[in-house]
Amino acid sequence: MNIPKPALLSCSLAQLLRGEVAALMTWTSDWRRSQVTRDMLLVLVGAGAFGAALGCWRDPLQAVFSAIKLPVIMLLTATGNALLNAMLAPLLGLQIKFRQSFLAILASFALAAAILGAFSPLAAFVIWSAPPLIEGANNSSTHAAILLLLVVVIAFAGITANVRLFQLLQSLAGRQDSAVRVLFAWLISNLFFGSQLSWVLRPFVGSPGLPVEFLRTEAFDGNFFEAVFHSAVRLFN
Amino acid sequence: MQDNPPLRPPEDPSDREPLNGVGAAIEAILRQPRRVHHALRQAGGGQVIGAMILVAVVCALIYGVVVGTFSRGAQLWIAPLKIAGGLLIASVICLPSLYIFACLSGSRAKLSEMAGLLCGMLFLMTLLLIGLAPVAWLFSESTKSLCWMGALHLLFWMIATIFGLRFLGAGFAASQAKSQAGLRVWAMIFVLVCLQLTTALRPIIGTSPTVFPGAMEKKFFLMHWFDCLEGRGEQWREQPTAKDY
Repeated sequence: MNIPKPALLSCSLAQLLRGEVAALMTWTSDWRRSQVTRDMLLVLVGAGAFGAALGCWRDPLQAVFSAIKLPVIMLLTATGNALLNAMLAPLLGLQIKFRQSFLAILASFALAAAILGAFSPLAAFVIWSAPPLIEGANNSSTHAAILLLLVVVIAFAGITANVRLFQLLQSLAGRQDSAVRVLFAWLISNLFFGSQLSWVLRPFVGSPGLPVEFLRTEAFDGNFFEAVFHSAVRLFN
Repeated sequence: MQDNPPLRPPEDPSDREPLNGVGAAIEAILRQPRRVHHALRQAGGGQVIGAMILVAVVCALIYGVVVGTFSRGAQLWIAPLKIAGGLLIASVICLPSLYIFACLSGSRAKLSEMAGLLCGMLFLMTLLLIGLAPVAWLFSESTKSLCWMGALHLLFWMIATIFGLRFLGAGFAASQAKSQAGLRVWAMIFVLVCLQLTTALRPIIGTSPTVFPGAMEKKFFLMHWFDCLEGRGEQWREQPTAKDY
């Protein structure tokens, strides 16, 4: 893939958000330190801002913890699944190298983080407007509603990033069926790994009555999907 | 590199004329919105944005004084500050998501241009509120019902917001956005944020012993409205001694 170097420099986040395929190809074409640093910075700043918004409901210290943990989850998911995702791509009909698959996923995470960062003032406002998290207060339905709202925002960011990733995969594969297979395989692996990582690294919002801490002592008990299901049940009951 | 062609200037030469002064900006936003869109993309776009924010704040402060005439006293300066501050806070909260929705819709506008469009929307909204201010003042002087005045101001704000969003939508389309779906979602978010801010910054029309009781008692705006309608929001109402209420 021959892409002129000046084009690489002009490649901007806005172009990626617009889904300009040429920009997406440029973003993931070569292993350049500046590109990788930019992606990582986007993840750190965007996801960090959203994490801080989540945590500020419980406590300022929780905001700091969440601002650290949310970007860590994204970066760990990208790196932890890098080998698996690189192997899945050729198996499912997309002939790309390890470097390209990793950069494509990192770019999609950077996009998602940018969207999360843009929604972080909104999330912070919603949380600021909510009753405080106090032990014994009857606000479990509010707590559940906010958790679901945050999941919706995260899902929107994730879906949007994956739509853009799909456009990139489609242009790389030249065929829609291969791109669909690879995207779904990557989605499943990243969701499976990422959601459980988020469970292990909880809390992000925190719970009234439980102490503010970086990791729970029972970090490896239960799973993410179980918690979301219980939140939904609490809200609708 | 770029899938989309660069933004084209407006076809009508009068829409390409620069905005010289506040009067021209007011005239343009009411009659030639494309001229404002074009001006925001030019080199002096920052100055246009600054002027629009300044006028919007002044207009919001003036309308706030009219809102404050219902309760008088301290509300004459509290209401203007809350209204102008609330509009600015809502804009700051919603600007990043507006830019994201614009990009996702294929818009080629930069962040500064989207900020300019948002300021233009505030500018138009507050101008319309000034136009509605005499009517609001008349009702403020002759009405004793807090709920009625709240509904009236809300109606005026909704009218101003509809026109403001129409200006924003036209700017969105002019920036080559392929779809307005993102803007519609964002408009809902903006309206909800503004409505929640009216509750967070309460009381704006009535009075209370403290300036920001909403910071202590957090409520969803619909809950606050129901409380007011059912008379549970009486602590925010004007005291009978102040205006024979």
